[in-house]
Amino acid sequence: MNPIFITIPFLAAFLGSLFLKTESQVRKINLLFSFLNGGALIFYAVPFIFHARGKEISHWWLMDSFSMLFIFLVAFIYIATTIISTRYIGHEYEEKIINLRQYKLYFALFQMFVLCMILTLITNNSLVLWLALEGTTLFSTFLVGLYRKKTSIEAAWKYMILCSTGISLGLVGILLLSYGAHEAGVAGENIFSITALMESAHSISPNIIKLAFIFLFIGFGTKVGLAPMHNWLPDAHSKAPSPISAIFSAVLLNIALYAILRFKFITDSAFSDPTWTNNLFLIFGFLSVILSALMMLIQVNYKRMLAYSSIEHMGLILFSLGLSPLGAVAAVMHMIGHTFIKSTLFFGAGEILIQWKTTKVEKIKNMLTRARYTSVLFIVGILSIIAIPPSALFMSEYGMFSQAIVLYPVTAIIFFVALGIIAYAMLALSINMIFATEKNEKDAKNKAERWNITHTVMTIELIVVLGLAIWFTTSHGVSVIEDIVKDFLFIK
Amino acid sequence: MSPIIATLIQIFFILLIAPLTTGLVCFVKARLQGRKGASPFLFYVTLLTLLKKEMVISNATSWIFRVVPFVVLGSSIALAIVLPLIFTDASMAQLSDFLIVAGILVVGSIFLVLGGLETGSAFGGMGSSREITIAALLEPIVILIFSTLSFVANSSTIDGILGSQISLSEPYLLLSVIALILVALAENARYPVDNPATHLELTMVHEAMVLEYSGKYLALLEYASAIKLTVFSILITNFLFPSTLLDASSWGVGDLFVVLCLGIVKIVLMMIGLALIESMIVKMRFYRMSEYFSIAFVVAFLSMLVALLSSYSSEPIKYHVIFSIFTVMSVVLLFGKVRLKAILRYYAFSSLLIAAIALSLIPLVKEEEITHLWIFAIFTIVTKTLAVPYVISHIGHAKKSLTNLPSFLRPGKSYFLAIILLIVTYFTLRNISIVGLIEWNSLLYTAVTLIVLGITMMIIKRNIFSQIVGLLVIENGIAVFVLATVGSLPLMIEFGIFGVTVATAYILAILSAQINDLYGSTDTDDLRELSE
Repeated sequence: MNPIFITIPFLAAFLGSLFLKTESQVRKINLLFSFLNGGALIFYAVPFIFHARGKEISHWWLMDSFSMLFIFLVAFIYIATTIISTRYIGHEYEEKIINLRQYKLYFALFQMFVLCMILTLITNNSLVLWLALEGTTLFSTFLVGLYRKKTSIEAAWKYMILCSTGISLGLVGILLLSYGAHEAGVAGENIFSITALMESAHSISPNIIKLAFIFLFIGFGTKVGLAPMHNWLPDAHSKAPSPISAIFSAVLLNIALYAILRFKFITDSAFSDPTWTNNLFLIFGFLSVILSALMMLIQVNYKRMLAYSSIEHMGLILFSLGLSPLGAVAAVMHMIGHTFIKSTLFFGAGEILIQWKTTKVEKIKNMLTRARYTSVLFIVGILSIIAIPPSALFMSEYGMFSQAIVLYPVTAIIFFVALGIIAYAMLALSINMIFATEKNEKDAKNKAERWNITHTVMTIELIVVLGLAIWFTTSHGVSVIEDIVKDFLFIK
Repeated sequence: MSPIIATLIQIFFILLIAPLTTGLVCFVKARLQGRKGASPFLFYVTLLTLLKKEMVISNATSWIFRVVPFVVLGSSIALAIVLPLIFTDASMAQLSDFLIVAGILVVGSIFLVLGGLETGSAFGGMGSSREITIAALLEPIVILIFSTLSFVANSSTIDGILGSQISLSEPYLLLSVIALILVALAENARYPVDNPATHLELTMVHEAMVLEYSGKYLALLEYASAIKLTVFSILITNFLFPSTLLDASSWGVGDLFVVLCLGIVKIVLMMIGLALIESMIVKMRFYRMSEYFSIAFVVAFLSMLVALLSSYSSEPIKYHVIFSIFTVMSVVLLFGKVRLKAILRYYAFSSLLIAAIALSLIPLVKEEEITHLWIFAIFTIVTKTLAVPYVISHIGHAKKSLTNLPSFLRPGKSYFLAIILLIVTYFTLRNISIVGLIEWNSLLYTAVTLIVLGITMMIIKRNIFSQIVGLLVIENGIAVFVLATVGSLPLMIEFGIFGVTVATAYILAILSAQINDLYGSTDTDDLRELSE
């Protein structure tokens, strides 16, 4: 089946959201299509991940276990986010924070945004990849700036300007690479095909490849949120509606990283040696972790705290990808774990925002009594994200450090300290929110929180994380991840 | 047949057709202005009537007053003899050295000036003073234009320049021809330098000098200026189409007939063009004349500079190089502009030039890429020259108060920075070798400078609109980069990329309108709500 058919249900959901009349119709059609699309995608992706189906490569499409792993993650988060959106955005609609037009616009853009992410993952044409990645920026700008407030518009502006500029530079890199292939004698439109470039990489002039990869890395790295180009990320994450923050942090950043990794493979096979790109990854990964450790200490806003944590985890993933093939296994585990945990945390943050109407930590007290389910799930999420043992992230960070301490002992110790600082800062902030009490009679009178759909989703995700942690320790899990790594990593 | 007969035919043709030329301008102009207008042949009758009329000559005048009409007419006829209008290599061809031609022109205007001064009337003196100012400003430009042409053609006579058929093979000579057109407008006392149809003391130049003449002398002077106009219009068309000239030593009657018909066509077309110009623009104030001549001078000088550079570097300069230079120049000019409208105008112009680059590459690429270049050019014009500026100015303009855009740098410093960037980029590119890019060097340089200038613009300008235009300039740079490297993209992708550009402009324009609403300014320094 041609993968282009996946666009049809997304377009149907897009048009449905735009043209249906009432809020409940829009909600129902989005839930219906998200289960339909997400379910189909998961059903399609799982055989690839476990290598029950081999790679499928054509002129336009590239589907291997690596891209299908991402498809799986996107589909899962897509379903979860749609459910949370109906709760979160629906609540804001009831409170008249947004009007019906914005409500419909939100869902319409959301569907197209997800479609662009999926196209990025399954295309074999570097230019389609670029278009789809730029499409994610274009469709999500108004999602970030949904609230027509000073702060959200400013965040949307920064997001759009920085990411568009970055991705434009990425296009220069793609064109340079194709030009190099053209000079090396690759025929016709094959110069834009990722797999053809992988095969003929060794004949491309190394000068051009180096230049092209720097452009690509800086350009797409802006979208990943790497250290010197990260400015848009905390603003956009803290000002977007919480479900959007969740999908940004959980999958969008990973998808930009996916694009970099595809080109990393080409570069490495051109040099038949991954050292050069690995060094680039190590430097930027290190910078991102250090920066977020420093920024984390001065945070007063829990959504910004989570955003900086995303920068940190992107840095960690980049760093372990730069270490060695074993580090790459850890990196893939980390990506999977981070996707689930970070989306849980942002869903929780949305629930807090609904109840307290503020993102300032100092104004939130007594969470344990006022919102018992949210606070428990939130603190479990925080513990998971700082890699306290039963978490899946513990497995991956352990794998990473066992590599790093051998290869770069000093850097590894600095890393340890940085992660310690981050863990301290995140715990300090969230414990302050959850356990600090304020003697205020009014608060005590508030009714206890009811269990709602957000809590269900968060619980399911945390259970998945626990399951993953156990699965990663088994030899079956490790071998599946290793097979995935072999699909995208150049191994000498 | 003999060159002497050729020269005679040329003179008779010019003398015969000259009154029609003047008549045609008036006729076409009248039609363009919605009037019926007199017959184009009216001027013949006018001249005959004037010849029959009695003359009134002031007692205060000397013999110079009587000599002037003959000298002026003589100088015009001399031009018609020496210049290659219908025949090249005619009997007097070696006299068409450009210094001699410039001399003949000056003799004509000097005597006209003397004639104006002679009667001692206020109008004559005023017109003379103006005419001599213009003549002095005109002289260096004429010399520049023809020295460039003779340098390239390796011949100092205008006949030789036209005979070597160089004018359009070297694209920069187009600039010389443009300068020549500007000079011709001034030399023939047409718009925007002079208004031939007025006797208003504030504006007239040429008419003021001939005000005291009447009857036969006036007829001679009018006839002289008609001849001059004819000569110049045929000369300019000959520069554009040098192959329409006959060789004087070997020609047949059939050829002659064709060429004469072509001559009439040339005059008709040029006069329609002149009438169009005169209907669209107005006369400049006399004190702004220096600007007009500076433009002509700069254009002529640029042409000479490029000619010298190209002979120095012994590398032929092609059209796409010229267009790339203009693209970079218009972006540099954009750099120092502060008004949104001006910025968008320069942006649209640079995009148009990029389309021109694509079109000028057509003769240089393979057969199958030609359609791609056409599509690229058309897309560029539709999206970047029309749609994007419209979208930004439409959404941005709905909210007023966008005229004053703050910047960290004053315009002068901005230009300085831009030029430093150009130089730095040049030397950086010299040291980075990209295999196989020698052929398209200028395009690569254009692409990289556009990207660098765009990024710098986003950094140093504090205004949100400047940031939008900076981003768009980067995208233009990438478009040139496509031309410089892979040449053409698959059609669907090309369409997608242009779509992305328009969508980006649209979204950013909406966001900036919202920022302007909420913050009450378009200064990016005000965007400080999120600085934790």
